[in-house]
Amino acid sequence: MRLGMVIDLRRCVGCYGCQHVCKAENGTPPGMFFGRVIKREEGSYPTTTQLFLPVLCNHCTDAPCVDVCPTEASHYAEHGIVDIDHDKCVGCHSCMVACPYTNRYFNDERRNYFGDSGPTPYEEARVARHPEGVVMKCNFCRPRLAEGKLPACVDNCASNARTFGDLDDPNSEVSRLIKERGGFTLHPEAGTSPNVYYLST
Amino acid sequence: MNIQQKISPDVRDDVWIPSACTICYGGCSILAHRVDGTVIKIEGNPKSPNGAGKLCAKGVSGIMILYDPNRVSTPLRRTNPNKGIGIDPGWKPISWEEALSETIAKLGKIRQEDPRQLVLQITTTLTPSSLSIFFPFGWAFGTPNMWVAGGGVHCGNGAHAGGGVTHASWSIVPDFHHCNYAIYFGASKGHGAGHAATSNITLAADARDRGMRMVVVDPMCNFAAAKANEWVPIRVGTDAALALAMCNCLVNELGIVDREYLRDRTNGIYLTRQDGKYARDEATGEPLVWSEKIGGPVTHNAPDAKGAALEGTFQVNGEECQTGFTRLKEHLKKYSPEYAEQITRISAATIRRLSKEFGEAARVGSTIVIDGKTLPYRPASAIFFRGAQGHKNSMYNCFAIDLLNHIVGAADVVGGTLGFNPVCHGHPDTQRPRYSPRPDRDGLMAVGTWMLPHVPYPPADPRKPDSIGFIEMFPLSHVSPLMASADQEHWWQQFDLKYRPKMMINYGANSIMSVGNKETVAESLKRYDFIVSFDLFLNEFSDFADIIFPDASYLEVLDPRPNFPFIFNHPAGMGEWGWPIRQPVVEPTGERRSARDVLLEIAYELGLGAEMNLAVNSFYGLDGEQMLDPAQRYDVEQIADHELRHKFGNDRGLEWFKENGVITWPKKVEEVYWRTFVDVRIPIYHEYLIELGEKTAGLCQQGNMSFDMRYYGPLPEWLPCPSHEVADSEFDLYAFYYRDAIQANSFTMQNPWIDETARMDPYSYRIAINGATARKKGLHDNEVVWIESVKGRRVAGRIKVTEAIHPEAIGIAACAGHWSKHQPIAKGKGVFFNELLEVDFEHTSPVNLNMDLCSKVKVYRHEDQSKASFD
Repeated sequence: MRLGMVIDLRRCVGCYGCQHVCKAENGTPPGMFFGRVIKREEGSYPTTTQLFLPVLCNHCTDAPCVDVCPTEASHYAEHGIVDIDHDKCVGCHSCMVACPYTNRYFNDERRNYFGDSGPTPYEEARVARHPEGVVMKCNFCRPRLAEGKLPACVDNCASNARTFGDLDDPNSEVSRLIKERGGFTLHPEAGTSPNVYYLST
Repeated sequence: MNIQQKISPDVRDDVWIPSACTICYGGCSILAHRVDGTVIKIEGNPKSPNGAGKLCAKGVSGIMILYDPNRVSTPLRRTNPNKGIGIDPGWKPISWEEALSETIAKLGKIRQEDPRQLVLQITTTLTPSSLSIFFPFGWAFGTPNMWVAGGGVHCGNGAHAGGGVTHASWSIVPDFHHCNYAIYFGASKGHGAGHAATSNITLAADARDRGMRMVVVDPMCNFAAAKANEWVPIRVGTDAALALAMCNCLVNELGIVDREYLRDRTNGIYLTRQDGKYARDEATGEPLVWSEKIGGPVTHNAPDAKGAALEGTFQVNGEECQTGFTRLKEHLKKYSPEYAEQITRISAATIRRLSKEFGEAARVGSTIVIDGKTLPYRPASAIFFRGAQGHKNSMYNCFAIDLLNHIVGAADVVGGTLGFNPVCHGHPDTQRPRYSPRPDRDGLMAVGTWMLPHVPYPPADPRKPDSIGFIEMFPLSHVSPLMASADQEHWWQQFDLKYRPKMMINYGANSIMSVGNKETVAESLKRYDFIVSFDLFLNEFSDFADIIFPDASYLEVLDPRPNFPFIFNHPAGMGEWGWPIRQPVVEPTGERRSARDVLLEIAYELGLGAEMNLAVNSFYGLDGEQMLDPAQRYDVEQIADHELRHKFGNDRGLEWFKENGVITWPKKVEEVYWRTFVDVRIPIYHEYLIELGEKTAGLCQQGNMSFDMRYYGPLPEWLPCPSHEVADSEFDLYAFYYRDAIQANSFTMQNPWIDETARMDPYSYRIAINGATARKKGLHDNEVVWIESVKGRRVAGRIKVTEAIHPEAIGIAACAGHWSKHQPIAKGKGVFFNELLEVDFEHTSPVNLNMDLCSKVKVYRHEDQSKASFD
């Protein structure tokens, strides 16, 4: 089984729901986004449109971050999920340099959203557990998967733009969508074999 | 899942509590995850149709509102008697006892003198919750002066009245399940904001995926336009000209008309006299129609009226009379696509093409079988909202756009434009809540339920004002900018108002930012002797308050009906009905208390128990054993229990709802596609406006208020806003604001998660200006500019040079630009658009009191480019 995600850019409305639900689920500190939305304009007036492009770790099959990691902190977990073992991570940033997608973040020091006012009870409960001095990123919400739930960004997407499933199974919904709609990946030239696919508008 | 579950050291607190979001008025259903007393996650509630398990970016970010350390936590009393913008009130913490006793003493005195001196101010964000307790309080107290600060006069005096007159609902939306062609005029339904925001995202995405063609008419290409098949850039505020030209194409060029619908469901058959008014039956006074069967006039409700003439000129009582539809047809002729092109800047060819596409998509004459019932199938829809309606020509903009639906019969039928839930037959066990539109004066439709006491049709007879907003003179309005206008004292004198407002109770509104330019609103607030305000945060409005009550947040309070009336924020179309409750997820911390509890206590302490209970009975429609006893004292929980048992039976009181969160049952075809089943007509010829105009004109004359009868014609016109008539060529751009999907009014900028996203977004905090326009002016992306109105008011901000906006337009997101030190996250972020707005009668629709929200401006480079406050 190789878990992957398909994001339908026709359905996505750029509401940032995924960016925020990811933050709420993972308790990421300020400036850190395991998932985020990039807005880009296309065309020139009056034939203009805006592209909403949700991005996250691509959980690459040939992940350069895993290759370069000197401590094996970045590793392939179950079903091809790329994760970081924070007990092993020494915070050397090699993976951040190697990742062509800039979806990895360094948790340098404890930061809170209300600055000098100190952490909120939520931040005490959810942000404080992250070790400092390590690299962090999306792990397809492994704790949720273990509970039989979908990743938070998939579960909450109001436009149902995201589909999650087994890319090894040719009959899965994700495989079907990629085949029927011509799914593509970001930066294929990097040769990383991403497991996050996009369907064009 | 019971919140009452005791938290003990042995048992880990780990619960998911069903409730309702209140960050915007959408009120989507939520599940809040509480672990050891802390809310760690908010998700959508999949059991409820209100969001169906999904939430927007705002909704999942509520944790950061709940735990914001900047929230006010104790009652406060001002020590500095001087009030003004930026003047520190010198807040001093006081006890609840002190705060309440001072407030109650002031209220007692006011009520003895003249209860009308009390003004209640609420916010759209809290609409359903605030109406259900603040309105009854106002009725019990005896004041007509209640308003939603900035709500209505910005977003809906036209949209909601228009929706009410022809769809019996607060708002309209395409029937996403079946619509094949939707044309949006300044609306973003289904793209992140508004009533039923989250559900509509899902429905609209499904519709687009299914192949619904979406055309968005808007000065800016964002949200809906970004997802549309076609963006039609339009000159700001000219929507009616486009819509009327499209109607003209349909009726006079293409001949695409649903004659059966117009004949059977509208007043298009009513005969009108030379003066524009109905020809009426002498005996009954009912409007006449021309019976083809007997070849003569009969009343609209006579048996022989069936199949009456839709078109033609007929001799009635020796006078030439025309049908309403014939008048409409003639009227539309002046709106040629070529004429509309000059006004809208949209080419005549495009207008003709859009008309043809819309008309053909409507498939006039076709039917479809749904749930075994054969129904009209008109899969085309034209909708409006804030963008189109927020102008001086608000009423006609909405009527003109909606007319597209009625010409092709695409109103509340399969695939067409739906009102939000105008008909409900109630839960199968209780038949409650139950309402349906019905024929009223002249056989035209009155709504089955409404948000406010006065309904859009039939409009009440205008009368000399008794309220400070003059709603009585303009009965098609909902709220009035005179509540905070520059010319209010002048008009109060002119119309001999016998009292002046002295005291205000504010519930969460920040009217200094939400109405118009701050100086004007500030002057209106200084006229009050005493202002008490329920707030989560001190803000720009608080600088004018005397006492602050620390309010509990939406995650700490109870409300038995966050999504009722269903016409407001319940998803439309087929699916399920859902009635959730809002309940506390955590207990309020500090000394915070729910405003609902406090206001109820104030009412009882004032000795208004009987009045309050009767008003609550009336608001909730409580009767039988669930009616509140005027002699008893209730708390908010008890009232909620009465309301829920009344609607859903004795075994489904508050405890049942706390446990289950929501009750659902399936919608019926007869409810959703009610137009086929409810025998009622709607006006395409707004005859009632003529008499309304005459009467209002007479009243205006008494106070020397100028009056423009052009706004009261029975057929919609394009009428220019003041901004369209600015002669000074230096002011060459039309500035407008738009709703940002990640913001709700002025409230969410203080949420650090939302603020962070807004800073990452290319547009949220910046001023959108067209690339060619910027180049012409020598302006570069990210420069700081001044935007200055013809009245010399100006705001500064960084520009975003973009191709996604009309060359004549300046687009500014949301209601940003806070300056209060009490909201440090929000302070200095974004642009305070409303500063550019005049709040006076000249900039107000003389028919529905909507404010004019576009401002003709000039743009120039700021002298100080280093300003950190714009970063």
